Amino acid sequence: MNQAEAVDLAERLGDREVVICAGSGGVGKTTVSAALGMAIVAAQEKRVLVLTVDPAKRLATALGLESMGVDPAPVPRARLKRVLGAQPRGELVTAMLDMKTTWDRLVERLAPDRQSAERIYRNPFYESISDAFVGSHEYMAIEALYELHTAHEYDVLIIDTPPSRNALDFLEAPTRLGDFVGARLLSWLAGPTRVGFRAMGFAAAPFMRMADRLLGSDVLEDLAVFVRDLQGMYGAVQQRAREVYRLLRAPGTAFVVVTTLEPAPFAEAEFFCTKLHEFSMPLRALVVNRVLPDWLRDRDAVAAAHTMLENGRAAAAISEVLGEKVGADVPKRVGEAFTLLNRLAERDNRQVSRLSRLGRVPVARLPLVDHDISDLEGLALMAAVLRGEQG
Amino acid sequence: MLCIDTDAKGDLASTLGSPPVGFQPRVVQSNVSVLTLLPEESLQEYLRIYFRVPRFARLTPLARIFDFIATGVPGAREMLVIGKIAYEEKQRDPDGSPVWDIIIIDAEATGHVLPQLRAARTMLELVKGGIIRSQVEWIDAILADPQRSLLTVCALPEEMPVVEALEFQARARRETRMHMGACFLNRVMPVTFTPRQRRVTELMAAESHAAALSEKLGGDVGTVVAGARLAQRLRENGEKHAKRLREGMAAPVIEVPLQVETRPGLATTRAVAAALLAEAGM
Repeated sequence: MNQAEAVDLAERLGDREVVICAGSGGVGKTTVSAALGMAIVAAQEKRVLVLTVDPAKRLATALGLESMGVDPAPVPRARLKRVLGAQPRGELVTAMLDMKTTWDRLVERLAPDRQSAERIYRNPFYESISDAFVGSHEYMAIEALYELHTAHEYDVLIIDTPPSRNALDFLEAPTRLGDFVGARLLSWLAGPTRVGFRAMGFAAAPFMRMADRLLGSDVLEDLAVFVRDLQGMYGAVQQRAREVYRLLRAPGTAFVVVTTLEPAPFAEAEFFCTKLHEFSMPLRALVVNRVLPDWLRDRDAVAAAHTMLENGRAAAAISEVLGEKVGADVPKRVGEAFTLLNRLAERDNRQVSRLSRLGRVPVARLPLVDHDISDLEGLALMAAVLRGEQG
Repeated sequence: MLCIDTDAKGDLASTLGSPPVGFQPRVVQSNVSVLTLLPEESLQEYLRIYFRVPRFARLTPLARIFDFIATGVPGAREMLVIGKIAYEEKQRDPDGSPVWDIIIIDAEATGHVLPQLRAARTMLELVKGGIIRSQVEWIDAILADPQRSLLTVCALPEEMPVVEALEFQARARRETRMHMGACFLNRVMPVTFTPRQRRVTELMAAESHAAALSEKLGGDVGTVVAGARLAQRLRENGEKHAKRLREGMAAPVIEVPLQVETRPGLATTRAVAAALLAEAGM
């Protein structure tokens, strides 16, 4: 595909059930997710939910909303109509992930019975596990996505992944809870009750003595109870991980990798695309954000900037044209400012040539804007680019 | 100086001109060492130092007890990260002076680093006795002592990174005992125009002037001026957010100018270091 060609990502992604926007922190994933949702509902009769997992409420900022809750809330159609210039054909709904609620629902759903679930909720280990569990944001993002998908309330689910420096956190999240719950030593502890464990005598005694010495006498009891209850979820958790992976690999799922052309995020995007391939997960599009305009690489402009920086008579020439005395600082400052952006644009251009290495998929290029996208108007402009209307 | 990379991707070593380094500190520049922190290696070192468990004995029941604790106790794995850092801080030469004058940690993203920073608190709440508690207590003491450890936060002069930096500060205050040392505002557009320079630039942008200037200076002056004005607007937009950051941050905000790097490496690191020295008036 010609990467300079405008592509309609809304058309290409609007028929998917799940769209996962991934990429490193700070590249604009949340804004792109919101704009993509807007682009889809502008043209298609779809009910689209954009889910953000970020406690910083970035989607709320991007949507120009003062606050956003964990319960899905529609973006008013009148507001969408105003910024899109036409009645949206679909409905745009937003929500934010609530970690605690998602953990609670997970336990409620997967625990073998109500009593086990209640014991897990009350255990002091459960209090801290949701934050302490490595990658819990990633896991809960996928869990919420799966839950919403199975509820079939929305035609398209768009989720922006947590800002993570390690893409594997997200892709490996479904197996991590299973690994945790199923850890062999946890099984060993959870098998008998602790009293029974003590009764095992010879074999278990050194283990118990050492564990008691390390952790103290009370904590092991709590942990044993907690682990035993979690073990009751093991089969369901494993099944869940398999189903989630099936969803992530399904034809109805699309991964969209969002990046800027700066070296570090670009390298992360390359890494993530490689991992998607390894995990057999479907990369469907790339969105390159904050692309500098081509005119910054104009040769005639570069020549003029060079003259301003190097030619001592530039100030005199400007003075003559403007009819007022201009110091040498002016051409120097103007020349420096242009040259800085020119160097960035040249660097970006070299990066663009590497885009094809990320995958043979449509590429949308969103131009750099000199202001923040923090209202619906800004999102609508971005949505238009994602629909291939302008760039 | 010891620099610690906590995400095992080798980025930190490469910014200091070195190939990836492992768990043992390696000198990569004069007086600068780097190590990459791996929880598994940290666990092995912990077992070796405190329980004399040799490396080859990793599959013994004793070692597996620690595997179990690291897996089962919330905060334990994070403690292996933060505990290694605290261990290095406590290292002393035979004359009693610290092995490291300063330790700089390239931490994980905010979503991950907070669980690490509060891991000691988490464990102290859960573990009321035993050897681990006393070890966690001294780690917690190091983190809480501003003479020994400080938190710095990095942001960009954009709306959302600034919001995140301020929220991170608030959460760090609420959830950890660490003190904020500084905030680095990275990629600041290094373009400033005085009001007079701005006024003249606007005059140059007028179509008739730009055409005449293009003729005199040999090139497309209109495009140069458009680029300069774009840089100026980007700077002004960034300043708006920098102001908000300075107002909300309870620590000095240090600006780091935008670098046009093609890839992170020693040259970029040196340029950033020079900019930081200049900012400090050195």
